[in-house]
Amino acid sequence: MTATLACAGLSKRFGDVLAVQDVGFAIEPGEAYGLLGPNGAGKTTTISMLVGLLKPATGNVLVCGTDLAAEPMAAKAKIGYVPQEIALYPELTGRENLRFFGRLFGLPRRALAARIDEVLDLVGLSDRADGKLGAYSGGMKRRINIGAALLHRPEVLILDEPTVGVDPQSRKAILDGVERLVADGMALLYTSHYMEEVERVCDRVGIIDHGRIVAEGTRHELVAMVGSADTIELMLDGDVDGAFDKLQALEGVIEAVRTGTGSVRLLAEGGRYVLPAIIAAVDGRATVIAVEVIEPDLEATFLHLTGSKLRD
Amino acid sequence: MRPQGAARLRPRPILALVAANLRRLSRDKVGLFFMVIMPFVNLAFVGMALGGGAVGAAKLPVGVVAPSSDPVAAAVLKELRAHPDLAITSVATKQDLRSGVREGSLAAGVVIPTGSTRLELVMTQVNGSGMAARSAVDVAVGRVAAVLEATRAVEAAGATPAQAAARVREAQAESGRVSVVGSGTSGATPRGFAYTAPGNLLLFTFINSMAVAAALAESRRLGMLQRALTAPVRRRSVLAGEALSRFVVAVAQSLLIMVVSSLVFGVSWGDPLGVAAVVGAFSLVATGAAILVGSLVRAPSQAPAIGPPLGIVLGMLGGCLWPRESAGDFLNSLGHLFPHAWGMDALLALTRPGAGIGTVLPELAVLSGMAAGLLGLSLFLFNRRSC
Repeated sequence: MTATLACAGLSKRFGDVLAVQDVGFAIEPGEAYGLLGPNGAGKTTTISMLVGLLKPATGNVLVCGTDLAAEPMAAKAKIGYVPQEIALYPELTGRENLRFFGRLFGLPRRALAARIDEVLDLVGLSDRADGKLGAYSGGMKRRINIGAALLHRPEVLILDEPTVGVDPQSRKAILDGVERLVADGMALLYTSHYMEEVERVCDRVGIIDHGRIVAEGTRHELVAMVGSADTIELMLDGDVDGAFDKLQALEGVIEAVRTGTGSVRLLAEGGRYVLPAIIAAVDGRATVIAVEVIEPDLEATFLHLTGSKLRD
Repeated sequence: MRPQGAARLRPRPILALVAANLRRLSRDKVGLFFMVIMPFVNLAFVGMALGGGAVGAAKLPVGVVAPSSDPVAAAVLKELRAHPDLAITSVATKQDLRSGVREGSLAAGVVIPTGSTRLELVMTQVNGSGMAARSAVDVAVGRVAAVLEATRAVEAAGATPAQAAARVREAQAESGRVSVVGSGTSGATPRGFAYTAPGNLLLFTFINSMAVAAALAESRRLGMLQRALTAPVRRRSVLAGEALSRFVVAVAQSLLIMVVSSLVFGVSWGDPLGVAAVVGAFSLVATGAAILVGSLVRAPSQAPAIGPPLGIVLGMLGGCLWPRESAGDFLNSLGHLFPHAWGMDALLALTRPGAGIGTVLPELAVLSGMAAGLLGLSLFLFNRRSC
């Protein structure tokens, strides 16, 4: 199957700085791909090359098999790009902004009005469409910003930090909408500072640092790179000492620590699966009154691979 | 449902940009006030101050000191009295005349010495009605001079003074029959609304084009043009769309002033083709200047701070705010470095009877050259700084 968006060997230099170096990945139809990286890692430069705003020094971009450099018009018609900044006219209404982009992309005149209504419905702003954009909340602007990239039914949607400065309600609307589009078969490239968004939305993640992709895989594959041990926090009532001894001896438990009079922290492989054994082990000595399993996450992997936190 | 759309896309970037930019302008109430109301407020007041008025407006009071017996003086007086725009008052002495002009009860004064053809004109340099009166006096005096000249020529050819006078009267009557329509105004510098309407057209077309430069700078700041370029459109179409948006505004402003000034103030603009060419070329100059300012400013708020003051200064130099005769040669030469002076030259020339596009070819050439240079430079900078 032809990938919806594929790039290979992309490089870009600004003066002495090699901003992007040999970046390549492919996104299939209906797949959500996350690009994670600290500030200045090369995410925006990479995206600018993918949407045709910057010419790569080396490498190529294929959109549904169409070479972006050779046939820019055909390739761009299949991309829906949502920039990080809100690029909309504040003097115009939400609907008028969408009409502008619809004309820009060349939607047939008659189909345009109906398509605008569809998109407004998709981003949940049908009832506010005729208010001036300048009077919208940050979240509503973001939703129109995304809607503007959907009018022409792109094959691949590229979202660059779509939820910056957004209220929780809009964030939920955005993520729900994006997930629906992916479920309908659209390919998605997603960058965000919010790890939990990438974990929720993306099937595969590429971690970019200093202009290179340093790791790529599904969320599980990436997390496994820093070990698969889970942390289990337990609150116990009763004979805590006796229960602690039993827990230390339990199979699968790597380490056990008393963190308070009634609390114990365990490090265990496959935390969820050991839970029944844990409860059985303390049975008769103590009662488990609270338990929390903390699985290693992308944040830990990211920190491990790049040496920096995502939200620096 | 997704893939079907892509194949049928026919990008209309120029239409999209022009429609969006015009709609943005329509939401700018202050901008609209300056485009739709302000030019006519200005036109009405300045036009009246310069001695204009609708049909039947007050005539310009001109005082004359003349010896009653002198034939030349009598001829000049007769011509002056015949001028439709002048109200002639006899004044006893030159001193009275001077004080009348100084106080403003007379727009200008003429002293006709006995036995001499050297007339003395008394007027204040900065007064618009004085300028208008002067041109009317010039016309009257020119007529008398022509009669004297013709009489001398006939006498030199061997006729007696009586015969000569009769021949010249015949010739005058003949020419009066032939050119009866134009005889009242031809040769006179337009005054009143006929002067201020072209001045206002150039002034406001330029200033309001500069004001829309703010919207252009705003588009740059928002990243609209970058985003537009991610659509399947060519860079030159995006630039053309932005340029055309400004050009449409400039032309609309010009048309509005022309239509309202003709209908309400009775201004006649002259040969439509010539006027269209001059206004079109000037609108292109204004478009280039607007894009230049829109490309150079760092923040949108800087555009209104730079554009309109620049437009006003250029308008002053070009004679859009007051008659150029009242400015010195230095200012007028300086003015011809900028488009307004050339626009004024061309539009005033076109109001003379018989003038057409051929009359204003040099001005058109200069304006077109300025437009080409400004548009080239501004689009180059705009492209580099915003796309």
